[in-house]
Amino acid sequence: MRTRRRRLAPLALVMPLVLLVSACASHAPQTTLEPKGPIARSIDNLFNGVFLVAVFVFFFVELGVLFLVLKFRQRKDDPDPDALPPQTHGNFRLEITWTIIPAVMLALVGFATLTTLFNINRRDENAMTVRVTGQQWFWEYSYDTNGDGKYTDGDVITANDLVIPAGQDINLDIRSNDVIHSYWIPALNGKKDAVPGHQTPLRINADKPGVYVGQCTEFCGLSHGYMRQRVVAMSQGDFDAWLDNQKKDAEMPSSGDAAAGAKLFATQCSGCHLAKGINDAEFAKQGHGKDFLVSGNAPDLTHFATRGVFAGSIFDLWQDTDHDGVVEADEIGGTLNRGDLEAWLRDPPARKPMDAPALPERGQGKIRGMPDLGLQEEQIDQLVAFLQTLD
Amino acid sequence: MAIVERPTAPLELTTGATTTARPMGGFTRPQSTSGWKSWLTTVDHKRIGVMYGGAAMFFFFIGGVEALFIRLQLAAPEQKLYSADLYNQLFTMHGVTMIFLVVIPLGACFMNYLMPLQIGARDVAFPRLNAFSFWCFLGGGLMLNTSWFLGGGANGGWFAYAPNTGVAFSPGHGMDFYAIGLQITGIASLVGAINLVVTVLNMRAPGMTLMKMPVFTWMGFVTQLLLVFAMPVISVALFLLTFDRLFDANFFKVSQGADPLLWEHLFWIFGHPEVYILILPAFGVVSEIIPVFSRKPIFGYPFMVFSGIAIGFMGWGVWAHHMFASGLGPLSVAAFSMSTMFIAVPTGVKILNWLATMWGGKLRFTTPMLFAIGLVAMFTIGGLSGVTHAVAPADTQQTDTYYIVAHFHYVIFGGALMGFIGGLYFWWPKVFGWLLSDKMGKWHFWTLLVGFNLTFGPMHILGLQGMPRRMHTYAKGYGFDFWNMVATIGAFVIAVSMTIFAANVLLSWRKHRRHPVAVGPDPWDARSLEWMTASPVPAHNYDEVPTVSHLDEFWTRKYGEDATGKVVRLHTSEEVAQKGDATDVHLPSPSYWPLVAALALPIVGYGMIFNLGLAAVGGVLLVAAIYGWAYEPADDPEAHHAHLVHGNGESGDGHGDGDTGDGDGAGSGPEPAAVGAPSGSGESEEEGSSDD
Repeated sequence: MRTRRRRLAPLALVMPLVLLVSACASHAPQTTLEPKGPIARSIDNLFNGVFLVAVFVFFFVELGVLFLVLKFRQRKDDPDPDALPPQTHGNFRLEITWTIIPAVMLALVGFATLTTLFNINRRDENAMTVRVTGQQWFWEYSYDTNGDGKYTDGDVITANDLVIPAGQDINLDIRSNDVIHSYWIPALNGKKDAVPGHQTPLRINADKPGVYVGQCTEFCGLSHGYMRQRVVAMSQGDFDAWLDNQKKDAEMPSSGDAAAGAKLFATQCSGCHLAKGINDAEFAKQGHGKDFLVSGNAPDLTHFATRGVFAGSIFDLWQDTDHDGVVEADEIGGTLNRGDLEAWLRDPPARKPMDAPALPERGQGKIRGMPDLGLQEEQIDQLVAFLQTLD
Repeated sequence: MAIVERPTAPLELTTGATTTARPMGGFTRPQSTSGWKSWLTTVDHKRIGVMYGGAAMFFFFIGGVEALFIRLQLAAPEQKLYSADLYNQLFTMHGVTMIFLVVIPLGACFMNYLMPLQIGARDVAFPRLNAFSFWCFLGGGLMLNTSWFLGGGANGGWFAYAPNTGVAFSPGHGMDFYAIGLQITGIASLVGAINLVVTVLNMRAPGMTLMKMPVFTWMGFVTQLLLVFAMPVISVALFLLTFDRLFDANFFKVSQGADPLLWEHLFWIFGHPEVYILILPAFGVVSEIIPVFSRKPIFGYPFMVFSGIAIGFMGWGVWAHHMFASGLGPLSVAAFSMSTMFIAVPTGVKILNWLATMWGGKLRFTTPMLFAIGLVAMFTIGGLSGVTHAVAPADTQQTDTYYIVAHFHYVIFGGALMGFIGGLYFWWPKVFGWLLSDKMGKWHFWTLLVGFNLTFGPMHILGLQGMPRRMHTYAKGYGFDFWNMVATIGAFVIAVSMTIFAANVLLSWRKHRRHPVAVGPDPWDARSLEWMTASPVPAHNYDEVPTVSHLDEFWTRKYGEDATGKVVRLHTSEEVAQKGDATDVHLPSPSYWPLVAALALPIVGYGMIFNLGLAAVGGVLLVAAIYGWAYEPADDPEAHHAHLVHGNGESGDGHGDGDTGDGDGAGSGPEPAAVGAPSGSGESEEEGSSDD
């Protein structure tokens, strides 16, 4: 029994590390260990180096413990069990040595850290800038398309999918409309908090076109777990085409369910949502999306159908036809994921927890998230038909 | 400052007027030292320490159940066992409970019980304040937990970042309970810290210089100094939050121009020293256990002490490493990144010194030793992952993921709790006079080690795979499924392990009741002063306050050089140890007022949340308690003092309240413990401590 315990001890100590190594093989689209851009890669390289140092120290200490436990245990065959072992009180030279060696190791780690740190925090003045605004519980993106340095009328506003050109630096100016959020696309860079009243910079860069997933990482209230985001990187040509399309207003559908849906949208949804070209007047009148620092506004839906996901990026808008778990650019506009969209319209708080009913007396009366609008099945069909036209 | 009183019998006034037991017509001081009521009025640092431990274990059960609920929800993807709202309350309350109501008070349990004993004092400097600290902690902790029945627990995370904790975003009462409950437990920590700092500085036994104090007392002393400076910061932050929430102030309302980073800075200037407040006492515990079971003195005592002090100082310069992602700017990030890295140096010195203490020893693998080695092995992992966070660019990938959850559980569970559990096994016979079963203890240790690594080891992987913290559920297809299931299984292994511990306590106690075996003063062949008195420790601690000439004073009284210069055992423990049967030792009398004063605070708290009238009632009670406290007779001249001395805590001679003492005046008998006071003031030490 005693010997078996001794064999188990090292196993328990080494196990976490073995598990760690074996786990890197599994499918994990949000992993920090497979960077897909130069900035994330420099972080990963730094981490790998530090991790090696840590592994070395880990084995030194844990194997040291194991060695001491085996070597210096009180032996049963000790001829004089009462005799004291040598009573050493310390060794000044040894103490100094093992103070200095870790300090030197850490100084080296520190040097590498500082180099990387200042590198990745450089701002690329020539790069395109996108303003990223977090609010409970989705991300909004504003493109300063007319280059006046402001994000006003005429600029492009989208949500959930951040579309960027691949292979170049993109500056993000991150802000928040309510509480603190954190913007994080692990494959492209580390995270940066969205602090209300502040604007924090982050630079991302994707090697290749593709979809990179991420998630809000600062606890931001009820549906924090359901606040996701994606970066869709495109070739420069595709991106330019995408941006040109985004600048246009939506077209008012002329007939059928879609037209009825547009009308319904203007009456039911203008308190929070804008689809330029559809409900500008109603939104200007009813929308309380102008309130800064307390949520109440909702994603701009002008080009809803050009996005891959909806509702804070937790549902696919289009069918994932190649079943890789991600709706890519070529799947957008394919087969609608009608089930989730209809279920969402039927009762949003049932799919994603939200402070959507009126708050108790102490709240400021703002709703956060989308309430159950009590839509009829026919109305849901009309809205779905209308939303598909927003491309 | 404590006034060392020298009662003459009975209290004499210079005018010759007689004193009365009720100078203000109030209550006399309670007298009983046995029975459940005596626990309510006790000012004995040992009983208070035991109550801290008991209360901490009670809260540990609550926090553990909350953890199991969290793990159940996360066992599989897309589970909806409970709502996001309830989940947010569960993880918030789990964190708050484990940090403020389990690990801090477990540290307080050991420090309260052991620090006076290890420095050879009779009690702490301010015994009534000590009782007040405990009741404040218990009242605040219970109040915090009653929020479950009064509208729901706190839901803003233990870190409570503004403005998510404002009324606009958290309209329920949970965060009110958080702010006020923690304020009250903060008073407990602050008052207790001042008490122990004064105790260590003023009440050491003759000859015990600072550099002869045991490492545990040193680490406790550093911890208390950290508390003295850290608690005011969180108190301020909590006051601001309370006023924002209850009285519509604008400290954290961004729409009124406030900056939410203010809260982050205040919280972490408290919060990072807090980490060392949690871990340093456990380091102290392990520094006592490893030498005893290696049969060697601690290696590099001065380096152990100074590395602890270094951690205490450097701990103030690293707080912003919790905020690397908050947009501080690269220069600040660089500074805090460097300072955080270099705090690893003194920590590493400690680990290597523990290993060097074991080197060349004769190791006995008793349960306390296993837990101590467990701390060294597990804390190392937490320390190393900590260095990877100090690397700020890497931290921006890791922070707020499960990698951090893994890291701080390796530090606080694998470090602090492992150490404290080892300490429970180690000092249990000293406190209660009977041993916990070593066999069950070993089962406890190995199941805990396996369960702990199963639970928190996989979280490293989950974090690096990109799983954020504080999600009430997670989606399929992110590679999170398998390791979350493993972690949940591990959590239940921990639950089984802690059940074994509970069974061990119960069964060992029953065994002791049936077949009492005297453990003697020194069951482990230990080194420090507390083992030199009887087990369980008598109310007066030491029959005679020992004069100290060595570090490891007790050990040097047992061992010495023989004729050939070899160090051998010269005396048995029983020969050296005191019998614990002294009588007529003057001790501070129990008091009602600490309990009453502490009880008033939660009433004020409930009042602030629900009805200001109730707060006024609590306020009146508090003022009354302060008056009662101030005008309480320093001692009851009617009572004799022999009753305070009982060699066996359980069979104390049990006075009722209206005890019929023989009128033996205070301190009039022959003083058995006439030893010069360490401060050189010429006052005799036999009072140990006086009322504050």
